[in-house]
This record gives sequence, structure tokens and C-alpha cells, in this order.
Amino acid sequence: MIHVDLSRCTGCRRCEVACAFFHTGKVSNRLARIKVLNLYERGIDGPVVCIQCEEKYCLNCPEDALTLGSREQVIVSPTVCTLCGACEKACPIGAIEIFDGIVFVCDLCGGSPKCVAACTEGAITHVKVADKRESLAEIKKSTKKMSPSQRRRYYLEWQGMALREKWSRKHA
Amino acid sequence: MLEFGYGGRILRADLTKKEFRIDPLDSSWIKSVIGGRAANSKRLFEELNADCGPLGPENILIFGVGPLTGSLLTASAYYTVTAKSPLTGILGDSAAGGQFAAEMKLTGFDQIIITGKSERLLYLLVTDSGVEFVDCPEYKGRKIIETTDAIRREQGDSSIQVAAIGPAGENVVSFASIVSSGNRVNGRTGMGAVMGSKNLKALAVRGSCPVKLAEPLAFLSENQKIDQEILNHPEYKKRNKLGTTMLMKDLNSIGILPTRHFQEGICDYVDEISGQKLASTFKVKNKSCFNCNVHCSRYYLADNLEAEGPEFETLCGFTSRIGNQSLPFALEMNAYLNQMGMDSISTSEVIGWIMECQEKGLIHPDDLDGLSITWGEKEKIRQVVDMIALRQGIGNELANGTKRFAERFGEEARKLVMHVKGLDIICGDPRGIKAYGLTYAIASRGADHLRAEPYFELTNRKEEARKRFGNEKAADRLAEEGKAALVSYSEKIALLTDSLTMCKNIGLCMDILNFERASSLLKAGTGFDYSPEYLEEILEGAIHLDHQFNRRLGMSKKDDTLPERFQKEPLTRGPTKGSTVNIQKMVDEYYKIHKWEE
Repeated sequence: MIHVDLSRCTGCRRCEVACAFFHTGKVSNRLARIKVLNLYERGIDGPVVCIQCEEKYCLNCPEDALTLGSREQVIVSPTVCTLCGACEKACPIGAIEIFDGIVFVCDLCGGSPKCVAACTEGAITHVKVADKRESLAEIKKSTKKMSPSQRRRYYLEWQGMALREKWSRKHA
Repeated sequence: MLEFGYGGRILRADLTKKEFRIDPLDSSWIKSVIGGRAANSKRLFEELNADCGPLGPENILIFGVGPLTGSLLTASAYYTVTAKSPLTGILGDSAAGGQFAAEMKLTGFDQIIITGKSERLLYLLVTDSGVEFVDCPEYKGRKIIETTDAIRREQGDSSIQVAAIGPAGENVVSFASIVSSGNRVNGRTGMGAVMGSKNLKALAVRGSCPVKLAEPLAFLSENQKIDQEILNHPEYKKRNKLGTTMLMKDLNSIGILPTRHFQEGICDYVDEISGQKLASTFKVKNKSCFNCNVHCSRYYLADNLEAEGPEFETLCGFTSRIGNQSLPFALEMNAYLNQMGMDSISTSEVIGWIMECQEKGLIHPDDLDGLSITWGEKEKIRQVVDMIALRQGIGNELANGTKRFAERFGEEARKLVMHVKGLDIICGDPRGIKAYGLTYAIASRGADHLRAEPYFELTNRKEEARKRFGNEKAADRLAEEGKAALVSYSEKIALLTDSLTMCKNIGLCMDILNFERASSLLKAGTGFDYSPEYLEEILEGAIHLDHQFNRRLGMSKKDDTLPERFQKEPLTRGPTKGSTVNIQKMVDEYYKIHKWEE
């Protein structure tokens, strides 16, 4: 899975650029499977990407178009998928989003993620699937009515709180 | 057809009628200027009634990006804002990095051209399909990040990027800035005042038109070379750690760090206010512009405040230039000016000038509503800055710019204004960097280093200097020989970086960009055959056009000069001791190279 160290993220979005470019040959955050937000009011920058959560909410697909790969990455079958949007609605952190008829979710680039290679600050690493996966049950409750974009913001703000506490301690 | 690189469309918004129009971008028109700053200038010259008042509805405010902005190109993060300047009355423009440019590019508009004046305060929401005019009288008085956050929440999308003005822009302070990405500033020439005069609080952008390249693999291969060159560059680590704040100690070590308003070039307490001190004491992480691998910016926490920055200009402007020894105070001023939306260079010049004039007895407190201020007086500096931003008391007049304010005083006081063409000089004493001196003198927006950024003269690369400019002295900072050739070369590369909308620290200072490389990037990016020779030719044309435009607005060769101090008064100690600038001679040579008349 992709692991993010927020304390090292500078908000440059090279991960997003690399993701979009190597999947589509074009650049746009809409075409990226890892999406960076820059929250200026908090000084927090960071990418939001599939964390292979414990619950795997997205797999509850009415068409069974989503399956897990050998690295637990989500695989979407474009022939089975009807673009119903259930997975997008299910993901509590906005890590799946449909744009222009395609479901955008991290596929780990077949095992060698381009975003990891693009990050020169060491903020993104590719780690083996953890024994204990992060649960998004609490986040899910809070983000129910939100759009994917708002969910990403909520999740990043939540993650950012710990970093801000670390900064305050260091500064004090 | 503009299928690749360019967005291919321009957007015109009339604030008076609240109407907009989408036009195709003419391919032969844009090919003659590439994009970015040069395209903005051309648009302004073609469409502006040159005699119009800069703060009237007739002035045209242009936001522009280039063919490679927001693309795979490393550090392609800049956008330029252009209009007639309310500070100088001539060509005004200012660029900023951050995230705004890349998002603007995704709207598919290469230029957003704003005219007219709204009756009520509003912001524009620009998406692929055009503009929404959103009234926002409740935003009055709001600072930058507050405004950004409010728009994002209102629209329910945190990927929206916002370029806004703060209270200073609303109050039409002639050197008000536009700020995007929270703390990235279009600082110079008062573009924020032009926005304020139109009652335009912010321009918000969110797009979904991807940036397409003509030959993605060829582009990728060239960009990988660029990435490697940057990572292997001898300055990489230092720039990554300190960014432009590295210049505090670097300029001090060669005796050109403006101290007490350019009276000295060495600051004895530089270690207390240096980039190194900032990095070890207050910095909590690196920050970056879009798609950059240098990550030279910083986020800091200090005494109940936090912000991104400061860049060197702000740090020096609010420490040695005005005799302040407190780093936390400079950090406070950086955050405050960015959030109020006011240029730190012009603000520190007006303060430093008053301090020197009062020290010399040239200005009496009675001339300033009783204000008496000397070096490093923090509380009074806070007051003055606030009075300017809010146009209160004497601040209402200081807000018109140092040069204009000084007109009421005697010749001695007027001579001490450190400006060229009404634009306040940056932090770098030209007596020890002669090519920079020439750049300040000839720059088409007034005293400015970024029009050429002849960093080369600080590199001591004598052999390379002989090859490139026919004179090894071009690489000797104290020499005047070879500098006109250096400046005429690097002003083309500077315009090239502005047209590709790349960062100048990378394109120029780190010497990453040249005509050959730009040619292959543009070819792979746009599909147009931009040969190196053709690029050089159109850049020369664009520089000439700037010059002609300012001529039309009353400038002449005698305005291409430097304040008398730099020509006659030598610095008294350090490695630049005894040096002055023979500006006339360098300007003459520069005119000769350009084949310009007197």
C-alpha cells in the first residue's frame, strides 16, 4: 500500500502529476488516482489515496466490478462496471472518484508506484500490506453526506491534527 | 489548431456588464509570443487605451499562463498578472508560483482578461464553461486565507485555487498585491490595487481540461534530464534547505546586503536574521510550488503565528534594510503583509526611506502627522504598515508610493528614494553586482532584478563568460565590462522562463533553461516548430515591444538610470568597499546592443 508521511509533504503535487501522466499521458488532478490538497488555513498539504482500509467499503459493488489484486489493490473491471457510483459513495475518504467515464482509484501501478518514485522528499513510500489495516469506520460516520472532494479534505484535516500537535510540542 | 500545450481559449469578463465571452486563441498570434508574460504584454499593448487611468474601469487586468504551465515540466508553476501600473503609470506585471497557475491552466483558458468595474464587491468563479459572477459584500475586509477558505467552503470544493486581494487591495494601496495559495504573492507594481479598483475581491479557478502534449515521451525524456540536472546541481541541497533566504548570508558576505536603507552593505547581526537561523529555529517543514522538486519554500511557526515564507526580499526588507534585529518580528511582518495583501519590497522602502530622512533631519515629524520613527522600532513599524494598508492618517498618502509621496519634500529627501521609474528597488546593492544594477535601470516595469536575473555574474565562471559574452569580466560582479551583453542575453532567458512559466531560480539561477532546451520542450509540448533561432528572435521582439509601450507612456532613456547614491557614494567597508556604478556607460552599451535610439 501507499504510505504517506504528512510531515514531509511540501504540497508539490509531483505524485499527482506522475500518476496522471503515466496512466493517461496527460496531466490533471482529475486524472490522478492520488489527489493532493493544500489546506492553507492549516499549513497542511498532503495526498489522499486508497489506504486499503480494513472495511473495504468499495467492494460492496452491486455489479461485482471491483475485486482485490495480489497486493490488495482495488481492480475495477471496465466491462462489468456500469458507472453507478456506488464505490465513489462508499469510500469514506474520497479515494475513489469517477471522472469522464472512468473509475479512478489507486492500482499501485502494477507494483512499482510512479508517485513514490516522483516524491523527492520521501513523503510517499510503498509498504507491504500491514497486518493491522487502518479502520475508517469513525471517518465513515462523519463524512456520510459529503462529496469525494469534501471527504478528502475532512480526512486530511483529521490527519493533519496530529502533525500540528507535533509541531506545537516541538516549538514549545 | 491549438491541440497541444495551450488551452486554446481566452476568457473575457466584463465586470460592469457582468458578461463574459469565450474566444479561441489565435494560433499565429500566440506563436509570435509563446505565452505567459510576453503574451500578456502583447495583449495589453494591443487592447489598452494607453492614456487610461490605471485605477479606472478602462484598465485591463490580464491573468496569463503559458503552453507548458501545469504540464509535466518541472516547476512550470507560474502565472503572470499584467495591467497598467497604478504605482508607476507604466507597464505593470507580477508573477507568482504556488498552485494557482496549474489550476487556471485546467480551465482551458490561456488568458483571463478582466475589464470594467463592478458596483459591488464580487469574486469570479472560472471553470471550463466560463465565469460565474458571485457578489460577496460580506467578504469586505477579509484577509487572504480567510477569503480562500470561504470560497472553497461556499463552493464545496477544496481543490479550487484562489487569487485574492486583502484589505490593502480593497483600499487601493498603489503597491497592493494579489495573493494565491495562501502566501504566494504577485507583489510588484500594484496589481492588487487594480483588482481593488474593479471591486474584484478574488479570482477562483477550477478546471478539468487536462494538459496534453504533442509528443509525451519526448517531453518526458527531456524533463527527466532536467530533473537530474536539478538534483545534481551544486546548490540543490542549500536551496532545498534555505530557499532564497540563503541570500541573507551570501549577500552579506560580499558586502551588498542592504542595511539601514542602503547606507551599508554589511549587517553585523546577520546571523540572528539569516535563513540558517530561520531553518534551525522556526521552520517546521518545506513547502513547494506546483510540480517542483526543489521544495525551496518553508512553513514556520513562531510566537502565536504561522505562515509560508518569507522569501529573501521580505526577510531582508523587514530586518537589515530597516535596521530590525528581530527575526520573529520579520516573520510576523511576512505573515501580516501577505494576509493584508501588500508588497513587502515597496512597504519596506517607504519605511526605510522615512527612517533615513528623519535620521538626517530631512523630514520633520510634523510632516508626518507627528510620526517619528527610527531603525528597528517594532511597534512604530507595525503602526505605519497598518496605517498604509488601511489608508489611515499619513498612511493614506504613503499608500501612493514612496516616489510620489516624496515629491512634497526637498531634493535631498527625494534623492534618497531608492527607486527606478517609481518602482522601489529590491534588496541587493547594485554597487557590488553591476549587471543587477543595469537590470534595475532598464527593466520595463521599473527597478527589478527578475527581468534579467543575471545571477551568472556571481558565479565566477570566467571561461564560460568568455564563450557566452566575449568577455571574462561578465563573471566578475564588480566589473562593468561585458555586463550589457550578459544582461541582454539573460533578459531573453528571463522572458523565456516567464513564457514557459517556469521558476527563475531554476530556469536562470540554476542555469537549467536555454534556447535549445526550450525549443525541444516547446516542440514536444505544443507540436509547433519553435527553433532556437526563432525563439531568440521573438523574445527580442517582445522586449522591444515593452520598450516601445513605455515610450508611449512618457519614459525615455534618462529614466533608465539608478538613484544617485549608487552612482556617487561608495560603500565604506567589506568586499564591495569603494565601488560605485557607472550606470550611464552600461546603459549606453545596452542600447547599442538593442540598436535603440537615444
